[in-house]
Amino acid sequence: MKLLKPTWVNHNGKPIFSVDIHPDGTKFATGGQGQDSGKVVIWNMSPVLQEDDEKDENIPKMLCQMDNHLACVNCVRWSNSGMYLASGGDDKLIMVWKRATYIGPSTVFGSSGKLANVEQWRCVSILRSHSGDVMDVAWSPHDAWLASCSVDNTVVIWNAVKFPEILATLRGHSGLVKGLTWDPVGKYIASQADDRSLKVWRTLDWQLETSITKPFDECGGTTHVLRLSWSPDGHYLVSAHAMNNSGPTAQIIEREGWKTNMDFVGHRKAVTVVKFNPKIFKKKQKNGSSAKPSCPYCCCAVGSKDRSLSVWLTCLKRPLVVIHELFDKSIMDISWTLNGLGILVCSMDGSVAFLDFSQDELGDPLSEEEKSRIHQSTYGKSLAIMTEAQLSTAVIENPEMLKYQRRQQQQQLDQKSATARETGSAASVTSVVNGESLEDIRKNLLKKQVETRTADGRRRITPLCIAQLDTGDFSTAFFNSIPLSGSLAGTMLSSHSSPQLLPLDSSTPNSFGASKPSIEPMAAAGARPAGDSVSKDSVNATSTPAASSPSVLTTPSKIEPMKAFDSRFTERSKATPAAPALASVAPTAVERLKEQNLVKELRPRDLLESSSDSDEKVPVAKPSSLSKRKLELEVETVEKKKKGRPRKDSRLMPVSLSVQSPAALTAEKDAMCLSVPTPALKLPMPGPQRAFTLQVSSDPSMYIEVENEVTAVGGVKLSRLKCNREGKEWETVLTSRILTAAGSCDVVCVACEKRMLSVFSSCGRRLLPPILLPSPISTLHCTGFYVMALTAAATLSVWDVHRQVVVVKEESLHSILAGSDMTVSQILLTQHGIPVMNLSDGKAYCFNPSLSTWNLVSDKQDSLAQCADFRSSLPPQEAMLCSGPLAIVQGRASTSGRQAARLFSVPHVVQQETTLAYLESQVAAALTLQSSHEYRHWLLLYTRYLVNEGPAEEGTAEGVAASHWAEPPLPAPLHRVSGTA
Amino acid sequence: MAKVQVNNVVVLDNPSPFYNPFQFEITFECIEDLSEDLEWKIIYVGSAESEEYDQVLDSVLVGPVPAGRHMFVFQADAPNPGLIPDADAVGVTVVLITCTYRGQEFIRVGYYVNNEYTETELRENPPVKPDFSKLQRNILASNPRVTRFHINWEDNTEKLEDAESSNPNLQSLLATDALPSASKGWSTSENSLNVMLESHMDCM
Repeated sequence: MKLLKPTWVNHNGKPIFSVDIHPDGTKFATGGQGQDSGKVVIWNMSPVLQEDDEKDENIPKMLCQMDNHLACVNCVRWSNSGMYLASGGDDKLIMVWKRATYIGPSTVFGSSGKLANVEQWRCVSILRSHSGDVMDVAWSPHDAWLASCSVDNTVVIWNAVKFPEILATLRGHSGLVKGLTWDPVGKYIASQADDRSLKVWRTLDWQLETSITKPFDECGGTTHVLRLSWSPDGHYLVSAHAMNNSGPTAQIIEREGWKTNMDFVGHRKAVTVVKFNPKIFKKKQKNGSSAKPSCPYCCCAVGSKDRSLSVWLTCLKRPLVVIHELFDKSIMDISWTLNGLGILVCSMDGSVAFLDFSQDELGDPLSEEEKSRIHQSTYGKSLAIMTEAQLSTAVIENPEMLKYQRRQQQQQLDQKSATARETGSAASVTSVVNGESLEDIRKNLLKKQVETRTADGRRRITPLCIAQLDTGDFSTAFFNSIPLSGSLAGTMLSSHSSPQLLPLDSSTPNSFGASKPSIEPMAAAGARPAGDSVSKDSVNATSTPAASSPSVLTTPSKIEPMKAFDSRFTERSKATPAAPALASVAPTAVERLKEQNLVKELRPRDLLESSSDSDEKVPVAKPSSLSKRKLELEVETVEKKKKGRPRKDSRLMPVSLSVQSPAALTAEKDAMCLSVPTPALKLPMPGPQRAFTLQVSSDPSMYIEVENEVTAVGGVKLSRLKCNREGKEWETVLTSRILTAAGSCDVVCVACEKRMLSVFSSCGRRLLPPILLPSPISTLHCTGFYVMALTAAATLSVWDVHRQVVVVKEESLHSILAGSDMTVSQILLTQHGIPVMNLSDGKAYCFNPSLSTWNLVSDKQDSLAQCADFRSSLPPQEAMLCSGPLAIVQGRASTSGRQAARLFSVPHVVQQETTLAYLESQVAAALTLQSSHEYRHWLLLYTRYLVNEGPAEEGTAEGVAASHWAEPPLPAPLHRVSGTA
Repeated sequence: MAKVQVNNVVVLDNPSPFYNPFQFEITFECIEDLSEDLEWKIIYVGSAESEEYDQVLDSVLVGPVPAGRHMFVFQADAPNPGLIPDADAVGVTVVLITCTYRGQEFIRVGYYVNNEYTETELRENPPVKPDFSKLQRNILASNPRVTRFHINWEDNTEKLEDAESSNPNLQSLLATDALPSASKGWSTSENSLNVMLESHMDCM
């Protein structure tokens, strides 16, 4: 036996609570305390095994470290397949890690490059259920389940095929559960807790099989962990800390009847961890000796708080080896290599020990086949004991196996589709990269990235997604392979800056950091004589070669006193945690004024000083702000214009909605800005974009993602349409580029190049073959099952795709856009499929399908609206609470109109007449818009007004009664109103 | 655990004249979809002596952030020279990029910044009143100081979205030649600037 303590395996002196060797034996994981978090580290095994590798600088020792756990990591366990690593910690979480298979090491940003991660392990699932520290985790045989136990007294069984699904929560322990082990045959799971019991649970129904308490009666609950273990042949379960005659033992529990007749005795303090060797051994057949076949036996390592380790063979009465004083503190975890000859032990003292046995010492390990034959002869054919190859061909003997085979088939299917997806997404990334190199993307990122304004006027950037996480595999290795140092900045710069700046960028980084700090004060540096050529423009000045020499010498002097800044780097600023000061607008008005003055004072001077930038700097002055944003997206400008329209901001929700919704929507709107020349109407068309997202509704949350030219199949580029509705996703591909998209809760439609319009149901079914539009699309719109298409030739069509009928057929907008410089400012499709156009002159028209006419439903300049005053008839509570298409179209106009009316002195009779006329038109408009709610509202108002104001002619009231009361579905309250009239 | 890891920050347009906007290309990774936006801020430390002179150059919301690796360029105007003490105009100071989630700062990336005159004459005899237009800003991009803070990432306090904000049926169309509305648009940007100024006024 060889013993080794690799000192380089450490958590910087912090305790290591868990260790586990990867099934392929090439690496191992440790878990424990990090700097101010939990820490999981994956180490290379070969430097442990080979001294040469340990010395070889080129062989990495640490492969990856993950600081993601918020608190100490108590357990790390590799899945049997080696694909996943599960870690559980004091932060109540279990994280499941998977290796991301892209090439190239990455560094932890800001960690000065020393902590390079050779391998990339990413958290693919976070399992949350425990309400207390997670103490132990264990993968079931064949990785079907993952069990975790916690100080919340429970054991949780997770569906390892479908994280984070919980299959069962095992309740029954009355103390902190500190250890778990699966029966190698998969029938049981055992847990040991501080409640002085060891419980065995059936995997069939997740109920308690037995609870063993006797050997633990004398136990005090002071061990940090109680990692018990099941023997690989399944015969024995060995507990951690048990007591026998007031001596600490590891209790052996026989599977047959859960008898507790034997124990491992000898440790002076509580046993913290027991770990069986995964192999079953048989005695080495010595040449010449009698060929008496010895009984196969198992090997078990026991670690204790007494800092010693013992290794036992079940065929021997005494331990094979005991190593005392292996560590300074308690042993916390043990892991065997898969070949059964090596063992890693970790301790609270933060160190790890490796023991290497020879076959002579342990015996001949049985092959997997032999092992499974033992299992089968003992337990019959069963799920866990069969190898993968056997299982697919095995005769099914129990429902478990049937289930397993089905699951396997399902998994294969899943994997296929997953790989299909992965290749798909990989293609999408690479296509982005191929179509435009990443460098190009980055060069134009500022211009390309979508920036919007939120309702409160703040900038909001939609980040460019350069890799998706869900596949676990990043196809883009770009950033990982890029060092963080100035060289990157240099390359970036060279691509960005003009050639004349180039010399600068080689000189200045040096000037800043490279040289040693000198005591030379700033002033002296300034006084230093230098033979530089002096040029006036700052940019030119720096580009001259002379600039380099003095700056190299002067700058370092200033680095030393930078200690003053240290706290700034590490302390949260007072301003940051608080929400931005949005609330305090009024009191700061004075300050703002001051600010403006200040700025004004500064401006002339700046300008005098001939820097072209100075103008851009002035934050508040109006003209400058125009130039300042010059570089930014036009989209943003459009966005601002829209925000600037006072009328719609607060009244019309869609405006604020569109602000939330990502980029493309605004871009789309950009395209919708209609400027219409009189003779030939030509509406702007949306240009093709690479990708855009459109939020259809927020409740239920539904959005559409469009990606153009995603994959090329035989030279044909495909576009992808993806729709996500409350987490449920569907996607489809189209052959031509998608120009614009729209959706409602019932349908999703996209308009493509070649005038094609495709309509899908909300669950992704294609409702119609593509519709060929008469001319290219300008605006697309959906409400319910109604789809509205406004073409570039200013024709409007509305279809009911559910009933498959046309509502509006290629109706020209000529009649309403006849004016010289009129534009469509808003467009609306009501629930009943009636299109409404809001024009820039304040008029709004709806198209009445039954009459085939454009009807004026709102006019901002309408003098009737200005003069109408029916406030007296408004019911006290519901003052203008009515909402609907009419309210949307008319906005706040009616309110302001009333206010205006109160200001003007109008003869009473005239006022009455105008009010009545206004109310009449409102009632009619609501009726035409088929907005029943609004119709009722206005009719009610009208009736009240008639009653209250009592107009002279009786005829009107009768007319109202005759025409309106006779309308078929009258709401009940109206009858009451008419009764009082 | 931290749902967002900053992978890299590239300082663009560096070195550059004092009045050039700051540009940082930020790459970050998010392991789970975030329900709220990230808020990024650039804070310019006007003087080493006191936080009083810190200026929030800009604050920007970044979202939506689905799981994945993302990048964006954060551009912010140069600091207002009027708020920098004359004595601190030339020399080394610090610019900080902070990111907050739900109002909690979880990362702070700091860079040393050196402002100096490019003209020898000015360097030798710096004017009493600093001439910012002649200053060159050089960010020590190779040595970021990164501090991470633990925050609560969970959606424990789910707040309901305003229910009335769901009328997807209306899209507004804009007039291309609508100059008045354009100017209104700019006034919005002014407001946001004011907000920004106020927030650093708060620091003072």
